[in-house]
Amino acid sequence: MNQLFKKRKEQISIVQQFFNRVVKTEVKVVEASQIVICDGCKQAIAPESIKANQGVCIHCGYHMRMGAYDRLSLLLDEGTFREIDKKRTSFHVNDFSGYKKKLYQYQQAANVNEAVVCGSGQISGMKVAIAVMDSYFMMGSMGSVVGDKITKTIEMATQKKFPLLIVSSSGGARMQEGILSLMQMAKTSAALARLDEAGGLYISILTHPTTGGVSASYAMLGDIILAEPKATIGFAGRRVIEKTINEKLPDHFQTSEFLKEKGFVDQVVTRHQLKDTCAKLLQLHQGVNL
Amino acid sequence: MIKKCLIANRGEIAVRIIRSCKDLNIATVAIYSTADKDALHVQLADESVCVGGPQSKDSYLHMHNIIEAAILTGCDAIHPGFGFLSENPMFASLVSQCGLIFIGPSSDVIELMGNKINARKRMIEAGVQVIPGSIGAVKDEVEAVSIANTIGYPVMIKAAAGGGGRGIRMVNSQEELMKVFSPLKQEAKNNFSDDTVYIEKLFTKAKHIEVQILADKHGTVLHLYERDCSFQRRHQKVIEEAPCHLLSSEQREKICAEAIKVAKAVSYDSVGTVEFLMDERFEAYFMEMNTRIQVEHPITEMVTGVDLIRHQIRSAEGCKLTLKQEDIVIKGHAIECRINAEDMRRGFAPTPGTITFIHTPGGKDVRIDSAIYQGYTISPYYDSMIAKLITFGDSRLQAIKRMRGALEEFIIDGVASNVEFHYLTMHHAQFIDGRYTTDFAGKWIQELSEREPII
Repeated sequence: MNQLFKKRKEQISIVQQFFNRVVKTEVKVVEASQIVICDGCKQAIAPESIKANQGVCIHCGYHMRMGAYDRLSLLLDEGTFREIDKKRTSFHVNDFSGYKKKLYQYQQAANVNEAVVCGSGQISGMKVAIAVMDSYFMMGSMGSVVGDKITKTIEMATQKKFPLLIVSSSGGARMQEGILSLMQMAKTSAALARLDEAGGLYISILTHPTTGGVSASYAMLGDIILAEPKATIGFAGRRVIEKTINEKLPDHFQTSEFLKEKGFVDQVVTRHQLKDTCAKLLQLHQGVNL
Repeated sequence: MIKKCLIANRGEIAVRIIRSCKDLNIATVAIYSTADKDALHVQLADESVCVGGPQSKDSYLHMHNIIEAAILTGCDAIHPGFGFLSENPMFASLVSQCGLIFIGPSSDVIELMGNKINARKRMIEAGVQVIPGSIGAVKDEVEAVSIANTIGYPVMIKAAAGGGGRGIRMVNSQEELMKVFSPLKQEAKNNFSDDTVYIEKLFTKAKHIEVQILADKHGTVLHLYERDCSFQRRHQKVIEEAPCHLLSSEQREKICAEAIKVAKAVSYDSVGTVEFLMDERFEAYFMEMNTRIQVEHPITEMVTGVDLIRHQIRSAEGCKLTLKQEDIVIKGHAIECRINAEDMRRGFAPTPGTITFIHTPGGKDVRIDSAIYQGYTISPYYDSMIAKLITFGDSRLQAIKRMRGALEEFIIDGVASNVEFHYLTMHHAQFIDGRYTTDFAGKWIQELSEREPII
């Protein structure tokens, strides 16, 4: 029966061709803004459905990159965020070629002034100091301003006895600023040491990607380290290591699951559960009996 | 009032009549030949009676058996459908003599209209424009030649009692006329036991236009506008449409008035059709009148919304027509394709056999009148028409498009059918244009057979 309908279809197409009645259609070019291709499964998804699913692919559950303000609205109670140093932008000390232009372009495109947004807010009514990195701004790279803003946030947490949350997503130190950006690793780490001495809580949330100088400093210094599923977390890139040690690395090397397995990450938390998990940890820290 | 009706027919028209009878709360009795015991009309009728063997003359043409079946089952009427006994005056008079209602005109009218010569004469008297030709019968070759010379070649020589495409010869010259005259007379004598022949002018470029007539026994004669049945293969209609979209409203009114004149001239009192030939100048000539329901009646039903069989039964009961002429308006356009079990690749030879799979099209404004089903075996004894596919559209083009879609869906497996032929025709520029004449189908089939098969 199926065959008969198939045969009929073939006949029809022959007749249509014979009578020149083949309908020619052009493939419509869908504007990039109207469709998103998932990096995980390469399927096209409507931006609305991704937004509704908090940036998680509806097909494969891949956690896509997220802007800093989207992340803040995901984590914090509505309307509680107070930003500090909103307008601070990087300066260009050694006048790295094209850096000034690049900064300007990213400021326009990513709608943030720097690769990190810092401030204070509330999670389920509990006050926190929070810094969220934006990987859309120069791959979330850490320059002197980023490091300084994070240090200020850590210091605010130490001073006001707020628990500290840092959401990392970064390619590492900002190459254009040279040694100044590498300095930030020591600076933020020292600030965190003071927080630790003061008995403050620091929850580090690692998202895709957390690599380089960031992972080698504050990202991995959390009292509690959470990570989003399948996020790339590591210091040097996979190929660099493979070339150096002349060995094939496991498939899930440098993923959050791999790091969880090896004890570098305390828990892999999906984006949907992230706020609840943070809230529970904060409650525990406050001595609330869950 | 008719309470029980015997349907003296088979196939889709029997099914069609059963459906209208059910509407009217009339019990139905089907008749069947031994070859037809699985046929759909037998299954759908309330009762069924076997009236004889597979050959038509032993069953569907066997008057005595049929009337006996009607009397034994307590019927009060007989519907003859089309074909078979529908235009047999003897049957009509036998039925009424037995005290049954013959759903159709009186036997006198059938007889008059059945004889083409008498019909021509009567119409000439009534002032109807007929096809130029002999006034009465043509005795011999000499008379034939003189008439042919006055009206001009080509001419048609027709047997007075012929019909359905048989007993007709086309003649282009005097020599040809001399050659075919006597054989035709002989053929007419053998086939119709009547050797009278007559001559008519042959219009090579003409349209076959017919007007549907609906009349009652109280003198009301209504017309339901015209149909264009110019798509004919060997004088057999294959595709019909209603209305003829080439006619202007004045021309339409004129031809319909002419048809009413014809019907009134013979005091017609049932459903019938007046056939005209229309030449390039839109001049319509009376051809003949069919004193029965016709195969293509559904297209008129589609465009007017009138159930013709219902009215035919009611007027046979003696009811006055509830319709008025001004109530009958044409809306849209309808096309009918006759789906025959015949192989277009083998010269349209009938292909009896078992239907192993059937998918019938559906949707808005698509109508199928058929009597086939999956597993049904088409017998070689009867007509090869197995279904009528009718589509309706607000415009002619829409109806054609719907027909294409319906044909695309229509799948009959197990036997060859002319579905593909119809589908190809629905794409033919001249058909779409609608200016085709009665010779178009023949040329088109010739064209199809000469070139490489498309499908």
